[in-house]
Amino acid sequence: MSNNLYIDFMISLLAGTIRISIPILLPALGQIYTQRSGILNLGVEGIMIIGALSGFVGAFFTGSLWFGVFSAVVAGLLFSLIMGFLSITIKANQVIAGTALTILGTSLASFLYRVIFGIRKLPPIIDSFPSLNFLGLSKIPVIGPIFFNHNILVYLALFLVFFTWFVLEKTTFGLKVKAVGEFPRAADSKGIRVGLIRYICVAIGGMYAGLGGAFMSIGYMDTYMDHMIAGRGFIAVSVVIFSRWDPKRALFAALLFGGANVLQMRLQSIGVNIPNQFLLALPYVLTILVLVGVSKKVAFPSAFTIPYSRNSK
Amino acid sequence: MNIIIKRSKTMAKQIWPSVLAIFFALLLSGFLLFATGHNPLRAYARLFDGAFGNLNRFAETLVKTIPILIIALGTSVAFKCKLWNIGGNGQYTVGAIAAVAVAVYVPLPYFIRIPLSLVASIVAGMIIGGGVGLLRAKMNANEVITTLMFNYIIMYFLSWLVNGPMMDPEGFGFPQTQLIPDQMKLQSIIPGTRLHFGLFLALIIVVVAFIFWKTRTGFRISLVGESHEVAQASGVSVQKHIVLTMMISAALPAIAGWIDVFGIHGRLQENLPGELGTIAIVVALLGGLNPIGIVFASLFFSALVVGGSTMQRFEGVPYSLVGIIQGLVIVFVICRVVYEEFKEKRRVKQLVH
Repeated sequence: MSNNLYIDFMISLLAGTIRISIPILLPALGQIYTQRSGILNLGVEGIMIIGALSGFVGAFFTGSLWFGVFSAVVAGLLFSLIMGFLSITIKANQVIAGTALTILGTSLASFLYRVIFGIRKLPPIIDSFPSLNFLGLSKIPVIGPIFFNHNILVYLALFLVFFTWFVLEKTTFGLKVKAVGEFPRAADSKGIRVGLIRYICVAIGGMYAGLGGAFMSIGYMDTYMDHMIAGRGFIAVSVVIFSRWDPKRALFAALLFGGANVLQMRLQSIGVNIPNQFLLALPYVLTILVLVGVSKKVAFPSAFTIPYSRNSK
Repeated sequence: MNIIIKRSKTMAKQIWPSVLAIFFALLLSGFLLFATGHNPLRAYARLFDGAFGNLNRFAETLVKTIPILIIALGTSVAFKCKLWNIGGNGQYTVGAIAAVAVAVYVPLPYFIRIPLSLVASIVAGMIIGGGVGLLRAKMNANEVITTLMFNYIIMYFLSWLVNGPMMDPEGFGFPQTQLIPDQMKLQSIIPGTRLHFGLFLALIIVVVAFIFWKTRTGFRISLVGESHEVAQASGVSVQKHIVLTMMISAALPAIAGWIDVFGIHGRLQENLPGELGTIAIVVALLGGLNPIGIVFASLFFSALVVGGSTMQRFEGVPYSLVGIIQGLVIVFVICRVVYEEFKEKRRVKQLVH
């Protein structure tokens, strides 16, 4: 491969990695709140597809992409409240409640899409968020196309990494979230409303997941498709555990998962013949390894997946 | 006589919530259908007809019931022990891979090769399950996450196999293995339909599962599920039973994979299990983790899946309605706790006054 081609390949690889890691990063950041408060939400996948549809429908019928973003966030919030109700109010098993949410979300989105748009030969499309160029910064060779040629949602997501870290580490609310996840009983005795904090964290997780879904439909693909989330919600769950509930590490984990994906696509497209399945499976293997390393040190929030009830031990 | 009445009364008590959950799920989905301009009654009638309308359709429903039933039984073993095995898809897939590997590549007489392939499938499932169990028991690695990760890892492994080392050399590059020898396939029970002898295997497994919960091991597993402390105090090794439970729980989906390969697929293809694993979770729950309950729940869900596509074809109702019904069923099964709490509160109130 000539030098120029090699540089082009690397640029498209790195820029692609950043772009494709965003719909993993966003739900993962949200799940950091949720899991820190003690709730494992396996319904992210379902919330994301609901977000993808709401975002697309909102943008399609109003012509405003930002209204699409708004509807996706609201839809994510509302839909995640089902998870909150089942796992906090009813104290149901979270794995089962999350499974229900994923099935429900995936099917509901597909159903509503068919009802709203009917059966078409060509899918309805919109113009998604354009790339920014930061007053010409995107023209800088190599650096420009990699870092300064994305749409606004990408930078919003990167800002949310900092924001999430700030909320969890530097605010009273963050302290309460961690208290509720680690020592719900003690938190309760200090007057922190365990149920309320958990509801808020599930809702925040839903908003981030909704936004992540919207990124797919109105920030990446220009359209809605039934299978467009393609397991990213579950990947987000493993990113959260891989990054050990830390927003900064979640960014790197999302880049790793995204990078593996882009690398296999790019390698395939230039005809490099290595089994791409191993590349795709690698992040999952790493997650298990991290999980084993983490679990020994018991870094999980102590009340992880355990419903809180004043009456029981 | 009294015992029979009592038994059927307790059974009715167990069945009632599941029937109610299905009823409410169908009712709510019916509203959704109505609101979107479909006739719910006609849609449901078409769905029922698609699943049971004639011998061929009923046979298809049963064919689909077999894997759902067996995977759900496996899931229920783990759930009883409060281990949340959501790896049904991966475990089904390893079973199928082992089955085809032995059937295609081991040149032994059929009467040895068939049982050998079944053993290989079971062992493959047990290795995955045992691994997850060990990680949980020794390293405290959350089994929800490990089984979920294994689903993906195994999915890509299968994809690699059918695109690489196990690809059919005469398959024109299609991502699939060669067919297993015809003589090894499970025979059809009713000529002209795809219903095969796997049905009897499934029924045998149901009986075994039923008996299993009455054995000492079965009791110990549910004891560990009730409380680790109590189990430990009664001299039951929690760690050992976690590993054992996961091995049994993963072996059953692997058997389902074996049956489907020998009964219908005949070869490996990408993403063999589809959504079986998820459906099995719903079924195990709806069946109250009870083998008999799971039989009916799996028949119901299989009918939804088979009838759902007929409904889509003839009534124009999107197939995804089936998923909505599934999701709602779980939600309502969970919600029965609210009702029970309400009853409890009322009882306490009556006692106080």
